[in-house]
Amino acid sequence: MANKLCEWIEDRTGLSKLLKAALDEPVHGGAKWSYIFGSGLVFLFVLQAVTGILMASYYSPSSTTAWGSVYYIQHKTSFGWFVRGVHHYGSSAMMIVALVHMFQVFIFGAYKRPRELNWISGVILLLFLAGFGLTGYLLPWDQKGYWATQVATNIMGTVPVIGKYIKILHQGGSDYGNFTITRFYTLHVFLLPISLVFFLFIHIALFRKHGVTPYWKMREDVLRDRVDPFWPDQIFKDIVFALGMYAALAGVVFWTRGAELQAPADPASNYLARPEWYFLFLFELLKYCQGKYLIVGTVIIPALALTFLFVLPFIDRNTSRYPSKRIPYFGAIFSGLTGAVVLTVLAMHHDSKDIHIIHQREEAEKQAARAVKLAEKGIPPTGALSIFLHDPIALGEKIFKESCIGCHKIGGEGGDNGPDFTNFGSREWIAGLLKNPKDAKYFKGSGAMPPIKLPDESLLDMAEFLLSQSVGLIHQNAERVERGKELVLKGNCVVCHPIGNKDLKKIAPNLTEYLSETWLKEFIRNPGDPKFYGTRNKMPGFDKLTENQLDALIQYLISLSKDRTLVSEKLGNRGYVFGLTAPRTMINFQDKS
Amino acid sequence: MENNRRKFLKIVSHSLGGVLAAGIAAPLVGLGIHPWLKETVYGTEDFINLGKLEDFPVGVPKKMNVTSSKMDAWNIFEGLVMGSVWVLRKEDDSLSVFSVNCPHLGCGINWGEDEKQFLCPCHEGVFDLNGKVLSGPPPRGLYSYETKIENNNVLINYKKLI
Repeated sequence: MANKLCEWIEDRTGLSKLLKAALDEPVHGGAKWSYIFGSGLVFLFVLQAVTGILMASYYSPSSTTAWGSVYYIQHKTSFGWFVRGVHHYGSSAMMIVALVHMFQVFIFGAYKRPRELNWISGVILLLFLAGFGLTGYLLPWDQKGYWATQVATNIMGTVPVIGKYIKILHQGGSDYGNFTITRFYTLHVFLLPISLVFFLFIHIALFRKHGVTPYWKMREDVLRDRVDPFWPDQIFKDIVFALGMYAALAGVVFWTRGAELQAPADPASNYLARPEWYFLFLFELLKYCQGKYLIVGTVIIPALALTFLFVLPFIDRNTSRYPSKRIPYFGAIFSGLTGAVVLTVLAMHHDSKDIHIIHQREEAEKQAARAVKLAEKGIPPTGALSIFLHDPIALGEKIFKESCIGCHKIGGEGGDNGPDFTNFGSREWIAGLLKNPKDAKYFKGSGAMPPIKLPDESLLDMAEFLLSQSVGLIHQNAERVERGKELVLKGNCVVCHPIGNKDLKKIAPNLTEYLSETWLKEFIRNPGDPKFYGTRNKMPGFDKLTENQLDALIQYLISLSKDRTLVSEKLGNRGYVFGLTAPRTMINFQDKS
Repeated sequence: MENNRRKFLKIVSHSLGGVLAAGIAAPLVGLGIHPWLKETVYGTEDFINLGKLEDFPVGVPKKMNVTSSKMDAWNIFEGLVMGSVWVLRKEDDSLSVFSVNCPHLGCGINWGEDEKQFLCPCHEGVFDLNGKVLSGPPPRGLYSYETKIENNNVLINYKKLI
């Protein structure tokens, strides 16, 4: 039955004949591992296409929805992070394999007559690849993609006379917006793939016409007499290579937990843009071409390099493929390669030492994590950036800067009448307080509590126990809690501090649920309450803050430590409700003030 | 010998190719069927607040808009009017909340203050105060919703018609 069906299809289509013709290509000189790169690239292209098509079924190209849809792919679907990761690192893999392929073709002299057009179509394909990288980078509409692409479109703008118009055409206007995304999207998923397939077809057809170019030392008779069939001899090697690449890609994706998604693009921010690694050399080059020489880096050098690649088969007309006969060309190509490598390394080295870049990377990571947390509650239709505009933590920070920073320092900024709040409420912060309350970082001269003379580990145990009383301690360690409990309850702490009963009063603050959201709330309202500092108190109470302001301030204070998370977030509750654009808590707060 | 080698290579190539294809297809299928695995468009609240109990007069049905929020993949839409319902507060403060759509063909029904009946203008379906069919083509009484009162607020489960 199945056989009959196959025969019927074969009779009507000639499919297997076609397949046979495609696979039966004779490989002169024998199948070789050195021929795997071309088919490896075809494999990677197909991989990019299928992962890309699937992501396109979730992606929404507009300036208000792009980030949200990529966030959804990355964090809300089961395999989205993996598929996106494969697509992201797949682009780098394609670039690497394409460069290896190109240099191999160059070293083997496979660009020489009659294969000039193979070479030229290959260079065109390489340019398309760069185009894919450039257009794809912008699509998530995150900080990194947005600002790096700004550099690229500004480079377009430096082309004399027509630059301005090319730039507007690519951006879809004089500034970035919805049309920038729709245009980059159209290029990335329609124009570039169609063009690439067209040139790939030409490239492969020409390759089939002229056959492989083996190692230059292969003897003529071997080349003539040894013929392997493409299937299975060469395809076996190609499949092993493809499998190896996919395994490596999957490994990288797991290792890095997928491609990065930074916070939504903020046109008002001051972000130091960096392009993808394979454009870094061009980026670095621009540092040396400033002022009126800018055009040398943006247009002249790249244009010269490309022209050289395009005309190479016509200027190197010597029929010998021996490298020793092609020294000037080797010199040119490899000095270009060395230049690019040196510039790339310089750029990376510079960034790894630049304190602004390092700081920005840390900040960007924090922002990204925050954005993902906020997006969890839904992104308002006004766009991904609005999640930040109504972030209670941002409001809390504002209140802190208005009311608290006069006495409390954070990150080196602020007064020093009260304890330093850098890393406030972390295990380390509390252990430090226990170690020496009179330290300049804590209560200084006004501290009445004697230092606890225990090893650091024991102090950390005590901190673990104290923090474990409130929900939201990350990676709580049960053994430490037990040890800490023993130390706190059986030591001298309870002589001065009540613990276990919220309303009990002694001479020092009640430590029941120490630093929890409720504890902080009561404390900030009235630190002079007998259950806190009583008559010894020096901090003013902030009972004038509205409930919502106080909530925001506490969310901010808790966010200062990496050891703790907000209860509302830990439980996955919507602690506050978004209005059309603003959380209701914010609206209430504005009404009252 | 050479033929055997090639036969072997073919088998290995097929197997490796199969492993590769499966390795690529699995996550793609996993992503593709996401809408089977997880709700992508949904109301964020099970029970929607219609207002305070005292806002509803006893014995007279009152038409109320149902306002809630909707998650649409990554977006949240707040304050959306999802539809409207007829709310009847009874003497004992129990509630009946009816769908505004006639169970016949879905036309919007009105409350006739003079007749003290629900009337469907399309095919003259008539229902009494409790939603029971009195005359006309409707095959059943008015659809209603599960209700509850919490902190004096009237809440309905808008997801399920009874």
